[in-house]
Amino acid sequence: MSDLNQKIKEVIIKALELEDITPADIVDDAPLFGEGENSLGLDSIDALELGIAIKENFGVSFSTVNEETKKHFASVNALAAYISANSPS
Amino acid sequence: MKSVAGKVIFAALSVLYPALVFCGLVFWDISPRRLSLLLIGLAFVLFFNTTQGRRNAVGGAGTVQGNGAATAGGEGAVQGNGTATAGGEGAANSLKDYALVVLMLACGGVSFFADSLLFLEFYPVLVSLSLLVFFGISLWKKPSFAFRMACLGDRRLQASPERAFVERYCDRVTLAWCLFFVFNAVVASFTVFVGDEKIWSLYNGLISYILIGIFFAVEFMVRKMMQKKMHSYIPVCELQRDSRPAGMVVCFDGSSVRTWADFTDDVSKVRRYLEERENAPWILHCEDSYYFMVGLLAMLQGGRKALVTANRQEAFIKEIQKPGYGFLTDEPFAGATLIQDVLQNTESDGRWNTFDKDSAPMVMYTSGTTGEPKMVPKMFCQFENELFELVKVFGDDWVNRKVYSTVNHHHIYGLLFTVLLPTATGLPYRRHRIDYPSELASIAGEAAVIASSPAYLKRLAADAEGPIAFKTTPIIYSSGGPLPEEVARKCEGVTGYWTTEIYGSTETGGIAYRQSKNGPIWTPFEVCKMSIGENDCLNVKSSYILEPEGFTTGDLVEIYDDGRFLLKGRADSIVKIEEKRISLPEVENRLKQTGLVQDVRVVPMVGKRQYLAAAIVLNADGVARFKDQPKLEINNFFKAHLNQFLENTVTPKKWRYLEELPQDTQGKIKMRDIQALFGLPESKNFRILKMHKEPGALSLKLVFPADSDFYDGHFPAFKLLPAVAQVDMVALLAHALLETPRAVQKIQRTKFSYPVLPDAVTNLEMTFKADTNKVLFTYTNEAGRMLSTGTLVMQAET
Repeated sequence: MSDLNQKIKEVIIKALELEDITPADIVDDAPLFGEGENSLGLDSIDALELGIAIKENFGVSFSTVNEETKKHFASVNALAAYISANSPS
Repeated sequence: MKSVAGKVIFAALSVLYPALVFCGLVFWDISPRRLSLLLIGLAFVLFFNTTQGRRNAVGGAGTVQGNGAATAGGEGAVQGNGTATAGGEGAANSLKDYALVVLMLACGGVSFFADSLLFLEFYPVLVSLSLLVFFGISLWKKPSFAFRMACLGDRRLQASPERAFVERYCDRVTLAWCLFFVFNAVVASFTVFVGDEKIWSLYNGLISYILIGIFFAVEFMVRKMMQKKMHSYIPVCELQRDSRPAGMVVCFDGSSVRTWADFTDDVSKVRRYLEERENAPWILHCEDSYYFMVGLLAMLQGGRKALVTANRQEAFIKEIQKPGYGFLTDEPFAGATLIQDVLQNTESDGRWNTFDKDSAPMVMYTSGTTGEPKMVPKMFCQFENELFELVKVFGDDWVNRKVYSTVNHHHIYGLLFTVLLPTATGLPYRRHRIDYPSELASIAGEAAVIASSPAYLKRLAADAEGPIAFKTTPIIYSSGGPLPEEVARKCEGVTGYWTTEIYGSTETGGIAYRQSKNGPIWTPFEVCKMSIGENDCLNVKSSYILEPEGFTTGDLVEIYDDGRFLLKGRADSIVKIEEKRISLPEVENRLKQTGLVQDVRVVPMVGKRQYLAAAIVLNADGVARFKDQPKLEINNFFKAHLNQFLENTVTPKKWRYLEELPQDTQGKIKMRDIQALFGLPESKNFRILKMHKEPGALSLKLVFPADSDFYDGHFPAFKLLPAVAQVDMVALLAHALLETPRAVQKIQRTKFSYPVLPDAVTNLEMTFKADTNKVLFTYTNEAGRMLSTGTLVMQAET
């Protein structure tokens, strides 16, 4: 599980070309989007970018953007859970 | 011209009146009744003169003269003011004259019938008072009487840039006359009431005249002194060989000077050299202001188009030097003509001539805010017209000063302020720039005009240890970019002067000026007509913009009713980030609101997506607050602040904290350079603190932190930056910031003398020669000691 989390964090940093952030700086259950206290502060453009990166790296795709998918993007933990559940292997 | 005879009689009688009365009473023993006939006669002469003047006025010709003479006669009556020949305003004057006629008749009549001197004696009082009214009104409804006289004496004065200076002086003279009339009227009426004819005659017939004589003498001496103070402005194209005294100091450098005779000689030498050659346009670059001015004037007088460039990089010169073009410079350059050689090897033929400013073409180059060098064609009349305006507005302040510069005279502001203006006004200028803030103290004993820029003044504000004890408060100008109010305030603390900022561009010349103690609003030069043009940008029309439709700048503007205006950022400062419009200055101002930011630029970046990036210089509070905090924390602080106001799509995604924003030697901060800086991904291996960039040359202040990967596997106890890392850094930075090829073909002439230490401030200078594909680099430490140097030959890209 934490291996997957680590991998997700690396994908986020690489795909979104985040600067000054290491995987250790991303809190597992902190929100990825929005302007909250611990939020990573990603925006809607990042969401599209991240969707593509996750498909490329984990083979898991998001069909449409709706309230449901937004939930999966809530945090690293949520993404990990979604990837584990939908992983083809 | 019957009126002329009348005027002469009137003037003679009125001048002699008190003397005649004096003689009549004392020597000839004539009765007051008979004397009163003199006054009545005078009244008639005045009456005829006035009606004559009216008729002439109706007839058109001679209006001013007729009235002028009548007025002058009136003045002469009491004051014997022979020089008064000026004109006044027709109707008002006539009315005054008629009133005077009536009063004179009344006084004369009463004296005649009463056979008493009393009313006869009031005549001088009367004239004094009426002149007081006349002078007073002219002071209130400008131009003042003395100024009108001055204009008649020298008709060019009306259109001269010194007009304001002269007018102020003349107003003071007029006021002094008014005070004198009050005094004279009081004393004259006193002599009437004392009742002693001898005292009356003595004062009005003699003392009054002597006082007037003294007044004239004193005013004459004061005027001479003021004239000496006045700079003798002559348009550059109209300068004659003998326009200035041969020994006048043109420029200086330390204790050595060049005089006007040297200058005219040198110009004719260079000119002769140019005329003996086929080359048509000449590229001109001289670091020495004197050589520059000699070269420029020789080209202008010799009818050679001058291409004035600050950039003398080989690649750039190659680009602009078309076949047949000459290149005149004062520093050795392959294939160029060295001006020192010309001056040494050419005999002066003594030729010198004025030239037609409307057919003397020049070219200037601008770096522009985007960073692309751009050619701007100019005609010399544009500079000449602007000089005229500058002398009009600032000329008074420059009197008896020396001109110093911290800016490059190959750019328009430097050209105008540091060489052309001194040449046109005959003020001496220093041949070399003041480069360092510390140098300013060395000119504290001089009365100086300093043409400077925000780049220099910022350093001055930061570096000065305390006020400099200037003997005479210097006058400082700044142009090239906005001068932050905070810097202007600090500089005032150091120099005692609130810098006058000039707003303008290569295309438009000077547009407006301000001193930020009076707020951020700009006052346009009188000849500049402002309007709002395309894209809400400022459009300017002026006597030094040739296009009739004017020039539209890239600056957003708000214009007030009185013509003054406020700049509201650049039009290209509004960008779209993923369809969202955002004003870059707005983001910058929000960041400054934190009170922790000294300077900031936000730039749009395009990578996988569009985003904003912020380059920040923290102020002292900011440095203290974020001391020892990881960069991520600082980013998050600013992001959280911005998120109160902005959507997170438009909050900057990348951040750099620098000691100074990237700039060129002019202090111009270019978006392109900042974008290039962000093009280098943030690395834990090195940090850039400062960056100065010119075309083909780069200077960086760097730190290689102790936890950098570069030190891995190298003596953990004594870390030093390996040579291979140093070379690799040069290649990386040259590629990213100087746009060189990325791959190194070979390394030449390297020398590693001293180690580059972890966490130590290290300077890296490099130049890139595009034709040979070579990057020359030098690492130095903070004390200036050379650490290593070498040449990289880059792999030519195919």
